[in-house]
Amino acid sequence: MVATKYLRLFTIPFLTINLFACQSEETSKSEQKKQTEAFPSTYKPLPSEAFVIEHATVLTGTGLEYQDASILVENGIIKAVGNNFFIPAGVEKIDGSGKWLTPGIIDVHSHMGVYSSPSIESTQDGNEMTAPVTAEVWAEHSVWTQDPAMPLALAGGVTTFQVLPGSGNLIGGRGVTLKNVNAKNVQAMKFPDAPHSLKMACGENPKRVYGGKGRLPSTRMGNVAGYRAAWIKAEEYRAKWDKYEELLGTNSEKDKPGRDLQLDTLAEVLRGNIMVHNHCYRAEEMMVMIDIAKEFGYKISTFHHAIEAYKIADVLAKENICAAVWADWWGFKHEAYDHVRENAAMIHNAKACAVIHSDSSIDVQHLNQETAKAMAAGNKNGLSIEVKDAIAWITSNAAKAIGVADKTGSLKENMMADIVIWSHNPMSVYAKAEKVFIDGVLTYDRYDSKFQPVSDFDLGVIDPEGVRL
Amino acid sequence: MKNIKVAFKLTIVSLFLVSFGHTAIAKDYLIKNATVHTASEVGVLNRADVLISDGFIMELGKNLPTNSGVEVIEAKGMHLTPGLINAVTQLGLVEIDAASSTVDHTTKQKGVGASFNIAPAINFRSTLIPQNRINGLTRAIVVPGFGNSIFAGSSSAITLLSNMTGMISENVAQHAVYGVAGAGFNGGSRAAAHMALDKALEDANYLRHNRRRFESGFESHFSLSIADLDALKPVLEKKIPLIINVHRSDSIIRMIALAKKHNIKVVLQGASEAWVVANEIARAKVPVIIDPILNLPGSFSSLSSRIDAASILHNAGVKLVFTGKDWQSTHNGYLVRQSAGNAVSHGLPAEEALKAMTINTAEVFGIKNYGQIKVGMEADVVIWDGDPMEVTTNAEQVFIKGQKQPMVSRATRLRDRFWDLNDNKNKAYVK
Repeated sequence: MVATKYLRLFTIPFLTINLFACQSEETSKSEQKKQTEAFPSTYKPLPSEAFVIEHATVLTGTGLEYQDASILVENGIIKAVGNNFFIPAGVEKIDGSGKWLTPGIIDVHSHMGVYSSPSIESTQDGNEMTAPVTAEVWAEHSVWTQDPAMPLALAGGVTTFQVLPGSGNLIGGRGVTLKNVNAKNVQAMKFPDAPHSLKMACGENPKRVYGGKGRLPSTRMGNVAGYRAAWIKAEEYRAKWDKYEELLGTNSEKDKPGRDLQLDTLAEVLRGNIMVHNHCYRAEEMMVMIDIAKEFGYKISTFHHAIEAYKIADVLAKENICAAVWADWWGFKHEAYDHVRENAAMIHNAKACAVIHSDSSIDVQHLNQETAKAMAAGNKNGLSIEVKDAIAWITSNAAKAIGVADKTGSLKENMMADIVIWSHNPMSVYAKAEKVFIDGVLTYDRYDSKFQPVSDFDLGVIDPEGVRL
Repeated sequence: MKNIKVAFKLTIVSLFLVSFGHTAIAKDYLIKNATVHTASEVGVLNRADVLISDGFIMELGKNLPTNSGVEVIEAKGMHLTPGLINAVTQLGLVEIDAASSTVDHTTKQKGVGASFNIAPAINFRSTLIPQNRINGLTRAIVVPGFGNSIFAGSSSAITLLSNMTGMISENVAQHAVYGVAGAGFNGGSRAAAHMALDKALEDANYLRHNRRRFESGFESHFSLSIADLDALKPVLEKKIPLIINVHRSDSIIRMIALAKKHNIKVVLQGASEAWVVANEIARAKVPVIIDPILNLPGSFSSLSSRIDAASILHNAGVKLVFTGKDWQSTHNGYLVRQSAGNAVSHGLPAEEALKAMTINTAEVFGIKNYGQIKVGMEADVVIWDGDPMEVTTNAEQVFIKGQKQPMVSRATRLRDRFWDLNDNKNKAYVK
């Protein structure tokens, strides 16, 4: 028990913050583009027939709830949602009577694929703890696409998840947003056009890891010096490249600056092209991180694990920073001591962007329950948060946090048809995802084994003639 | 149904004065019109009343009369259950996992294994106790962690009171580990772990029957320290169970066979693959402690983990005892209720799920007079604002041994301090 806990301390990662609207117009296009196009997404949804789900309770993820409503999907795209639209002839009809529809669930904080199950020596691929700044590593290069946790998460309605590096480093590397589809390679899971993310970590983890090695950082002040030193280098690097790009055509090949993988990533953050997800528990550390972001001109998308977000929820609202939290985990570290069960509800009540995340291959399967607990805790203390609002914490707000809110996370026209049909109100322990669609493709069906994916690992691993479960 | 009347009030009162005379005087409470989940053969009673008097459940029935001096609590639309118990916690032994000065659940001292008794280290003023209490957990088994030995030591049973009257009993079970960790303590092989367990039980048995030969110096070579072997005596005398952490199905069969060989009572803990051998476990009458929400193939020993394991085990006739998510089973020991709810969602009857976090646990660990809403039981009672298995349900009021508990913890104090961020008050003065 103890060993797992400590392992988790290292794997517990970060928060992401939203940086929409700050994509820089001056972003240099040519040379930098080569970098952002490395390992491009090859994900292509399977072809699917048009269908309509009728007579269901629809939670749009954007604060609306429709009774006895329908949703029309064509070519993997949501064409219409509501009570009153024309259903073309010949479209397959799915009876949603008594069922609830939500957008596909999104986990902004996953280590599936990088801390895969079963946990053994060789599956510890999430933390490059050999230097405090490893912005050059990309979580996607660690992803084992056959982690058997992924299909389990799918059965919990999870259609999109962001895989982050762990929190052992100040700057741990790039995260990646994936569609929860089984594929032979990670590129074929990559969410098309999702922004890259950068994982940063405050507090106890990096200072413990590197203090233990007798080097900087061994303190929180050492942490801050480490972030700032990295950003100073990134500024210089960015300026060099931007100048080279500006003079392109008038300068020569020998003027071309040398490439540095680490600084490539950090410069892209400064240009507004990579979203920062910052593991940070304490209110005062979050405030320091906000100031660092201002000092160097980048935007924090989300604070992850934000145990004390409720203390500064007004600031998070003003700064347009999401707080991704657990419903109730606490106490494993000093910085996780000031937990309140009402954290997400208080963030929501301050009109900040609340997100429930898992950081766990168990909880990712029950993000609806985690959200339900967090909602109920707030309501017990006098708030009136409705299911149609709380569902945003694992759908539209989560999509905003990882920069895909224009593509998924809500049930409205022209969005990807990432849809879950639930047996009950999703804020119930009895709710089960019965059907899960990703881009309009039936990817999971609880009652039809033909639509229950199993990983390569699951195949024959217990029973040579069967699948794991 | 008829009211179940009680005639032993005077006896109970005198018992109460003896055992709790120094604590606050318990009032009488009449909880009216609740849906009462008794965790007994009576099942669920709709719109029933429960009279709590002098720390005990004194009456249970419909339309009980309101005597003078009784505080009436209207619970219409609410549910009532026994206070919950989590069978695997380290409550009082850890405040912050990563703050070693607050952690007492494990020793790495050489030669201290089975003889490790965590009871003296239990801190009843830990902030974890009220946080769990206000969320419906009223009792817990406090277990030692594994340090250097295949035996962790003995556990205690506690009530979640914030003072030392919370101690129920020390040495309610002995704990051992097989599988990966057991192998790790024995040079890296399960076979060596098996040999170590077998030899330890054999040595303990020999020692208990040949004490004099040892004391006079004829025998001195044993596999464990004398203190550790002595600590296994109550296991060999079947006074307490040996709880074995084990996951793989074949390992489970080995442990059942070992228990049979040494004629001891065992309980399987963790037991991810127990469902695979559910019939064998049922036949051996071995209880199983599981967290029903754990369905991950987290190790090669738990490849067969599944979300409906509790239901399968129950259907085979296995007695179930529940714990919650292992990494939060102490700070959030009350989440055993969410785990139970998931078992129900996947086929286990709700009454059985409730028993697995009340009376079954009491029976397995020998805790008397607790675990059901039944006349004569100690009044550990929770009033819930909804279905007790539901995740949106919260505890409305908690009673422990008939004492109405303040619904306050350090977390609710922090919540209240920061509830209104616009009040322009310096939060340091918000108490």
